[in-house]
Amino acid sequence: MISDATRARINELFERYPDRRSAMIPLLLLLQEERGWLSPETMREAGEVLDLPPVRIYEVATFYTMLRTRPCGKYLLQVCRNLSCSLVGGEGVLRHIEKRLGIHDGQTTPDGCFTLMTVECLGSCGTGPVVQVNGDYHENLDVAKLDKLLDSLT
Amino acid sequence: MSPKPIRAKNARTIAIQLDHRAASCPEGVTVLRAAELNGVFIPSLCSHKDLSPFGGCRLCMVEIDGMRGYPLACSTVVQDGMSVLTETTAIREMRRDILELMLSEHPSSCLICTEQAECRENQYTIRKSGVSTGCRTCPKDGQCELQSLVEKLGVSEIRHPVYYRGYEAEHDDPFFDRDYNLCILCGRCVRMCQEVRGASVLAFMNRGPKTQIGPAFGRSHVEAGCEFCGACVSVCPTGALVDKASKWDGKPDGAEISTCPFCALGCQVELHHKNGRLSKVHPHLDHEINDGQLCVRGRFCLPETTHHHERARKPVLKRGRYFREVDWPEALEDVASRLRGLEAGDFLMLISPDLTNESLYTAQKFVRSVLRTNSIDSTARWALPGGTGVWSRLFSLPISIEALAHADAIIAVGLDSRFYFSVAGVQIRRALREGAVLVTIDSRDSNLARVADHWLRSAPGMEGRVLRAMVERLFSGDAGAAPHAAAGCGIEEVSLAKAVRSIASCRSLAVVVSPSAFAVDPGGELAEALFRLEGREQTTFLPLMHGTNTRGALELGALGELLPGFEKADDAARVSLADVLEGRARPKVLYLVGEAPFFERPPCEYVIAQDIYLPPFEVDAFLPAASFVEAEGTLTNVEGRVQRSAAVEHLPDGARTGRVRPDWMIFSMLAETLSADGLHFANAGEVLCEISRRVAGFPASGDRRPRRTSPTVDILPRGAGAHPPADSARRLIAEPGGFRHRGIDLSHVVEGLSELRLEEGLRLHPDDLEELGVKDGDRIVVHVDGMNVTGTARADADCAPRSVTVHRPHAYGGLAHRQGLQCLYRFDGRLLNVTVSGHRNS
Ligand code: SF4
Ligand code: SF4
Ligand code: SF4
Ligand code: FES
Ligand code: FES
Repeated sequence: MISDATRARINELFERYPDRRSAMIPLLLLLQEERGWLSPETMREAGEVLDLPPVRIYEVATFYTMLRTRPCGKYLLQVCRNLSCSLVGGEGVLRHIEKRLGIHDGQTTPDGCFTLMTVECLGSCGTGPVVQVNGDYHENLDVAKLDKLLDSLT
Repeated sequence: MSPKPIRAKNARTIAIQLDHRAASCPEGVTVLRAAELNGVFIPSLCSHKDLSPFGGCRLCMVEIDGMRGYPLACSTVVQDGMSVLTETTAIREMRRDILELMLSEHPSSCLICTEQAECRENQYTIRKSGVSTGCRTCPKDGQCELQSLVEKLGVSEIRHPVYYRGYEAEHDDPFFDRDYNLCILCGRCVRMCQEVRGASVLAFMNRGPKTQIGPAFGRSHVEAGCEFCGACVSVCPTGALVDKASKWDGKPDGAEISTCPFCALGCQVELHHKNGRLSKVHPHLDHEINDGQLCVRGRFCLPETTHHHERARKPVLKRGRYFREVDWPEALEDVASRLRGLEAGDFLMLISPDLTNESLYTAQKFVRSVLRTNSIDSTARWALPGGTGVWSRLFSLPISIEALAHADAIIAVGLDSRFYFSVAGVQIRRALREGAVLVTIDSRDSNLARVADHWLRSAPGMEGRVLRAMVERLFSGDAGAAPHAAAGCGIEEVSLAKAVRSIASCRSLAVVVSPSAFAVDPGGELAEALFRLEGREQTTFLPLMHGTNTRGALELGALGELLPGFEKADDAARVSLADVLEGRARPKVLYLVGEAPFFERPPCEYVIAQDIYLPPFEVDAFLPAASFVEAEGTLTNVEGRVQRSAAVEHLPDGARTGRVRPDWMIFSMLAETLSADGLHFANAGEVLCEISRRVAGFPASGDRRPRRTSPTVDILPRGAGAHPPADSARRLIAEPGGFRHRGIDLSHVVEGLSELRLEEGLRLHPDDLEELGVKDGDRIVVHVDGMNVTGTARADADCAPRSVTVHRPHAYGGLAHRQGLQCLYRFDGRLLNVTVSGHRNS
């Protein structure tokens, strides 16, 4: 069920576009922010709101990596694996997270706390290695900083 | 929303240059189309005439003077004076590169194999492997667009790392198989499903190297609401999508254009045959009816219906307690001996409205001139609610399927086009893409209601009254002051007024009415509304009925009271189907021609069945008829077109092939056995000639233009109109089922159809089931008219709330699973109040 508050935000979104369907991505981001991920049920609801068959939502949701079609932990760790970060130790950062949390790319810890994801360049190459946690950037990381970060999150 | 395909109606001609030569084409078409019109080949794998441009394969790139880079021919519109180069060294190189990239992800060993030439001799044994590793193990071998392009453009090596996707092939859904390892992601299937069929089953999923085609949420096609129209299969340029049944038949030997034998639209089909056998059916690009589209029955059900192992192919006689296969002369003599010296009232022939014109005409001539009685009847009568008078008048209206596509406004009454009359739905969608207004009147949800501008959801059975109210308001020009109020039909006056306003200003109007709507309109209000609309300019109609050749049956005298050409027959001592069903008459001899409207053997001394399958009860004589692909003939569609039904199987008599004969020939042979004249015809063409001499306006051959009949039959007094439903009770809607052919239920012989369970059970809205505390699949009891009927409950979200829908087939033959519902079939057209309860096992 879409709450009244969300519906109000959706209506606001609609006003920004001449055609409702153009609001699909912002709408999906909004629902994802609220529910953590886009379940089939959520996609069906989005279809209803936009007056589109669910399959049209599904194709968009599975296309964009920022839209999640699988459940996600409380904290989403997005580790950059592109060139600049790799050159200054990005791979080590990734390996450390994998070892410490016991999960690999795309997996979630059993307690539902962390989800690990590798991503392409986050656009912050000067301050690599970069890990994005639920939208916040953590830059110039090394193992020690990383541990502090993870400790603060659990 | 994808862009509209670029079209050009009455466009002016412009001059262009194609490869330095002067050429011309209509304004507004794409460069690809312009080249095609001028006979210049541009490779393309993703474009299709009915689909919006996609620009996915990039093979169609060309060079255009004054344009940068290599524009795509499929999505660039020609301009006056444009100069196009379709093939340069650079383009040729790039096209090869593109194909190589495609092939690097496609099982392509055969395409680049150096032993290709010798392959066919040596490798036949590997053809039926479950996985396609190359063309020789692919069902599309020899009919594949990708394969032929690769050969044409001369790609012989792949300079990229080869990647095999390793998807599991999908065989679980009925009718067609999918192997997405062969898919080149051209998107034709996705666009076809969405743009043309409006089914929205398929989509691209994921992205990059993981991109795949399929339904959402990992569902099967059945779960995703696929219509199994096969439109996606027909446009797939590779072996990714293929018909199950003909998968390993290989390239067909040839194809004949014919008419689909399963419904009154009369879609044009191509019957592909291989080694003298029907292999598969493809839609014909006939722009007047189906323009490359079909429904599940036409596309997939023909081969199984004619090749099913239960097909009865030899004459059989009952001898004491045994049944014996006999020769034709013996069978004919036995039947003839029973037909000699019958009194009036001793005989009745029932003939199916699915037969050809030739067979229907010969049948009635046999009954009338040889047996000298008018005792011939047909379930065609049940497909014509309101009576023959109403329908002969309906057939005098301008009826058109194609006009739907060009109408500015469409009213669709009771039509769900997913599985019945799909092509009408496709045409309506075409009109919608051009901006037409659609109003649906339907107590049930339907695929058309979902895309309609106005869905007038009436109470069950009130569709006719709503249409009449609409028409009255259309003519009065004043939405408020019409005589018949919408109240009582479950429609609010405002929504009715809105719908009327939206079509009032439209120039051309098309009205389509489904058999389900006619069936629950005992007062004839639908017909009345249609007749009033006849006075409106630019208005066309499509009154639909079940039965393939029902119109032909009516016109050619297959109903006792009417002679060919709608002439009245005399009424003396005529036995009818109703007489037998209601026990008023018990003819000694009953001759069933492609009809089995009984669950049990009717109480007659001698029962003859002439059909392509044995009826579900004992008969005394069985005469094996030829099926639709085994005999030439013609069928009359709803528009009055007389269209050819082609024979592609010419089987010699034999142990396995049997001794089937066209229906008309069996009557002719019987007449000869009875030493009667006037029924000797050398071939179907001669019968058609005689029909055209006898029936005014009936074409002799080759003319398939629509015809309007001039009715001479009086319209009979009508029954009372429907009453609005009582509050407490549920309504029983016993609507005609459409999945029949001759005496059989198609869902019984075609396995895929039975998997879809389309006409099964007692259908209720899920909310109603919840209220009753039953689940889909449970047994429920319907209390109706003092009787209790037990059947399986089916949840159907399209059903009208507080109603029970049951499909009432015209042909009961083969309905083993529906026997429990037997007594419901009596309630023809009447809407009854019923109560429903969960079943208690006692
Ligand atoms: S889809 Fe076509 S090219 Fe591919 S293996 Fe089959 S026949 Fe060959
Ligand atoms: S068969 Fe028809 S409805 Fe089903 S996926 Fe293909 S195009 Fe869509
Ligand atoms: S399945 Fe066939 S039609 Fe669909 S995208 Fe793949 S190759 Fe094209
Ligand atoms: S490479 Fe990591 S942020 Fe750009
Ligand atoms: S046909 Fe033009 S890109 Fe495929």
